[in-house]
Amino acid sequence: MRTHQFVLTMVLFLALGGEAFSQKFATKTGTIRFYSEAPAENIEAINKQVNSALDTQSGDFVFKVLMKGFQFEKALMQEHFNENYVESHKYPNASFVGKINNLSEVDFSKNGTYEATVSGKLTIKGVSKDVTEKGTFEVKDGTIGGKSIFYVKLADYGVEIPKTVMKNIAETIEITVDVSMISLNK
Amino acid sequence: MKKYLRIFTMLAATGMLAGIFVYVFVINKSHPDYAAARADYALNAGEIFEAYRSDQAAASSLYDGKIVELTGQLTAIENADNEAYLCFVLDEGLFGPEGVRLHLLKSENNKVSTLQQGEWVRIKGYVTGYNETDVLLEHGSLVQ
Repeated sequence: MRTHQFVLTMVLFLALGGEAFSQKFATKTGTIRFYSEAPAENIEAINKQVNSALDTQSGDFVFKVLMKGFQFEKALMQEHFNENYVESHKYPNASFVGKINNLSEVDFSKNGTYEATVSGKLTIKGVSKDVTEKGTFEVKDGTIGGKSIFYVKLADYGVEIPKTVMKNIAETIEITVDVSMISLNK
Repeated sequence: MKKYLRIFTMLAATGMLAGIFVYVFVINKSHPDYAAARADYALNAGEIFEAYRSDQAAASSLYDGKIVELTGQLTAIENADNEAYLCFVLDEGLFGPEGVRLHLLKSENNKVSTLQQGEWVRIKGYVTGYNETDVLLEHGSLVQ
């Protein structure tokens, strides 16, 4: 676990690090929402303390989220999510470390909305998978908004849903990432 | 016949009561009243930040998922999407200031206007962990 965190920190450092980079944007109040639609019920959870950073020069993009920070409508769902499904005591965070594939098509110096594809490693419950997802970056008066909706198959990340609640939780859940980043340059 | 009917009625009533109990107090149980809840630990913002930085595993086992009351000097008040965050900056890192960040309960938002940067405050919140830059708390409130 510690090794994993160390590697992640190093990746973040190499990707975004040092004072040498002059094009870093970040936020600590990003939002990640997940939504499960199943026959018995729909479940939604939101986390509003997502760390995210972007290097507009290299296209490196990362986010990290603490699992215990997801808020559910029902307290029991939140308990099951943390204790049984994602085991947040063992795997306290999820993260994405990746890169914008079509960086040349995104002009971060000019206001506008740009379609982008981002590839990288998504880590949930200690399992890392290569993913490529579509999203948009919106540049507006010095801030950069990033939005993406993608789908995650729970079984791919070792999240097992007991048969007794299969009608309550979807096999594939919708993840919405919404971040508004400001320049770290001072 | 009447005897069986009475037993059946009693069993049905008991089952119904048990069902209502499970629905209300288990399936639909409400979230704790975090603002009124008693804190599991009371310390200052610097102490909890250093605890996570020096030994994350030990600090996590102690504070993650607990309600803590913290005293600290308020460095910044941030607003994003109608949410308010109280920040206690204790160091500078790769991603800028690092320290303790508290996401306030919506019911506490009206108190933000009374706060001043640099003021010493006592706050309470539910610790969600340390993300290698900050110790994060949710369901935050100001302790009078």
